[in-house]
Amino acid sequence: MKGLFNKIIEVNLNDRSHQVINIADEVYENYLGGRGLGVKLFTDRVPPTVDPFSPENILVFTIGPVTGTSVSTSGRMSLVTKSPLTGTIFYSNTGGIFGFSMKRCGIDGIIIEGKSEKPCYIVIDGNKGLEIKDADELWGLDTEATYDKLKELEGEKVRTLEIGPAGENQVRLASIMNDASRAFGRGGVGAIMGSKNLKAIAVINGKQKTEVDNPELLKNYAKSALDKIKALPVTRSALPLFGTAGVLHVTNSLGMLPIRNFKYGQHEKAPLIGGEAIRKEILVKTEACYGCTIRCGRLTEAGSMKGKGPEYETVWSLGANCEIFNLIKITQANYHCNKLGLDTISMGVTISCAMELQDKGLFPYKEVKFGNEDVLSELVIKTAKKEGIGAELAEGSKRLAEKYGDAETAIHVKGLELPAYDPRGAMGHALGYATSNRGGCHLTGYMAAMEIFNAPKKIPRFTIGGKPDLLVLKQNQSAIEDSLVNCKFSGYALGFDYQARFVSAITGLDFNVTRLLEIGERIYNLERIFNIGAGFSNADDKLPERFENEPFKEGLSKDRVVPIKEMLSDYYRVRGWDENGVPKKEKLQELGLK
Amino acid sequence: MKIDKETFNSFDLVGKDLSNRGYNSSHAGNLSMKSGGKIIITRRSAMLGWLQPEDLVVIDLEEEDAHSGLIASTESNVHRNIYKHTDAMAIVHAHAPATTALSMIEDEITCIDGEGMFLYKKIPVVECDIPVGSYEVAEKVAPALQNYPAIVVRAHGVFAKGVTLEDALGVLTGVEQAADIIYRVKLLGQPLKRDYSKEKGFTNW
Ligand code: SF4
Repeated sequence: MKGLFNKIIEVNLNDRSHQVINIADEVYENYLGGRGLGVKLFTDRVPPTVDPFSPENILVFTIGPVTGTSVSTSGRMSLVTKSPLTGTIFYSNTGGIFGFSMKRCGIDGIIIEGKSEKPCYIVIDGNKGLEIKDADELWGLDTEATYDKLKELEGEKVRTLEIGPAGENQVRLASIMNDASRAFGRGGVGAIMGSKNLKAIAVINGKQKTEVDNPELLKNYAKSALDKIKALPVTRSALPLFGTAGVLHVTNSLGMLPIRNFKYGQHEKAPLIGGEAIRKEILVKTEACYGCTIRCGRLTEAGSMKGKGPEYETVWSLGANCEIFNLIKITQANYHCNKLGLDTISMGVTISCAMELQDKGLFPYKEVKFGNEDVLSELVIKTAKKEGIGAELAEGSKRLAEKYGDAETAIHVKGLELPAYDPRGAMGHALGYATSNRGGCHLTGYMAAMEIFNAPKKIPRFTIGGKPDLLVLKQNQSAIEDSLVNCKFSGYALGFDYQARFVSAITGLDFNVTRLLEIGERIYNLERIFNIGAGFSNADDKLPERFENEPFKEGLSKDRVVPIKEMLSDYYRVRGWDENGVPKKEKLQELGLK
Repeated sequence: MKIDKETFNSFDLVGKDLSNRGYNSSHAGNLSMKSGGKIIITRRSAMLGWLQPEDLVVIDLEEEDAHSGLIASTESNVHRNIYKHTDAMAIVHAHAPATTALSMIEDEITCIDGEGMFLYKKIPVVECDIPVGSYEVAEKVAPALQNYPAIVVRAHGVFAKGVTLEDALGVLTGVEQAADIIYRVKLLGQPLKRDYSKEKGFTNW
């Protein structure tokens, strides 16, 4: 299909072999690329019951037809695997420039299976092909040092995916970093690389271009999209000026910024750690992924340290949710997470879970208490090393809370810690957490964009009527954005018809909105079937009890709880699933799934 | 299916707004939204400016049912087909005068004002032998709405889609505003000093 190469490299680390496989056009027509292609390749190869840490689990890295084109925000790529944190299928997404650089090597992705006997790394060289090399010099290094070392070994222009010590130690919260800057953050995907003794993937010397069916038309659409991105306040000024952490000021004022492990919805000190404070106090410069004009990334300096971030989710998870409002300490803990290769959301929420357990007298480590900023960085470092208390935090909040006898203290869905939008403040977003195929995730449906930021359209945040229907639409749309692959933030400015226009101009095929939504639905159902095979059921489509029973007493989200069961039955009906949340035979047939 | 108060309020608000604008005669126009896998739609001949709870009817999303045939809006098959084949979550239909007038002399309406160009660029015109309520309208409108927020049925009126009723209303009134400007410019009878739409590559839109 135009816009892609119809080629994937399949690597077996057991014997360090690899082969190029050809992918039929039909697969792209049904799954596009990115997440969709990844889910298809993954579910064709891996049984749902696979142990995430076993050599039989695989990692599927893919790009999509839009990746690296003239479309702004298209420098992204996707990963699919089975998560050691949730036990679900797990799709993840990263920015930077790696995706574009991999595409330039003339492939649409790489599948990694098996386990190397010794630590290794993979080099994809546009001139020489693929090579698997020993990683003795890299193993044990943090992500920044790994990136530097790879530049020394493979050349200055190398682009990398790497894990830090957390991944090597198979910490369930481990991330995969990208040029030590951006991340496949969530779900413990770094631990899967660690379990395979795979330290890094490097790409270099890619020079191939994909064929675009109608470059003039694509240019026209890309220009129109850029006009919108430059005109809409969120993409024109809020994200460039304040980064994602600008969001904190809004969620706090709406009374839905989770504080103290989701006990309260706002805090007077919250602005001390928001995007405005970051801009004033620690910002060195803004940064962008390949070809993006929004530039939501931050290079910052905190005390004697320098690094990337923090994002909104991070100032919240390592800060507000732990009742910590010291921007420098939070930012330093964030740098440690990046260097050690840890997901900042799950790390922070696991710490706040431990703090609540301690508050209830259930956790033996007295120093782990709300507001204690001095333990933050130490807890992060110990977690990556699985040292002392760190070995307990390394398992994530669900396992931690269960061990200490109070499962409800863990704020998660399907084992994935919830992010920084309290469900009581936005009902569609809440339902999105409960029904996301990868657990407590804000990006699988991202209803908050409409419910909170009116982008690209405004919908009332507390209304129930119609929300399941809208969420299904958003989840299917998101599956498409992840498959093209295009950044979710472009959706603040662009209607979904833009995605249809982009992919049609690139491929020369008629991918109208309806056809794209059907592909999104196919991807979503295929993920759901995998999860059911892995043992998940409607009993797992739920929220922690406090969101159903404990309204906030103050603020603009007070007196609200989430009627999740009421919304869930409508959601299943809209999806064409039975009352147990299982896709009906007719629905699967309609989508061409078994 | 119970229709909650907030949902009724949103129909009421949109109906009143349309009525105040004078886009429809007293008993014309129709509104609908998707909810719980069904369609909530206004009753046939409901007065949009004076909606009562019983003016909202729940009909099946997939096929004709008794309610849709007996009491729901004449255009319910058009709404259903739009929901089945596009990303619409709510639909507002009105006989917006400027857009309807232009549909009689144009094959597509190209916006020439800043807001119209930014938001809509073009409004497709759909022609039908029976322009009101027919299966032909249902069949032609849905595909035309796939990549556009609104279309106009020649000599009949506008169908606008949105994520909510308020959103669809915003689209419909925005389209009418853009059409009204074209209409007024035509009345002035002078050539445009600068036709921005020609610079923006709308021909392929
Ligand atoms: S908006 Fe931010 S995350 Fe998205 S592509 Fe641009 S810089 Fe990357």
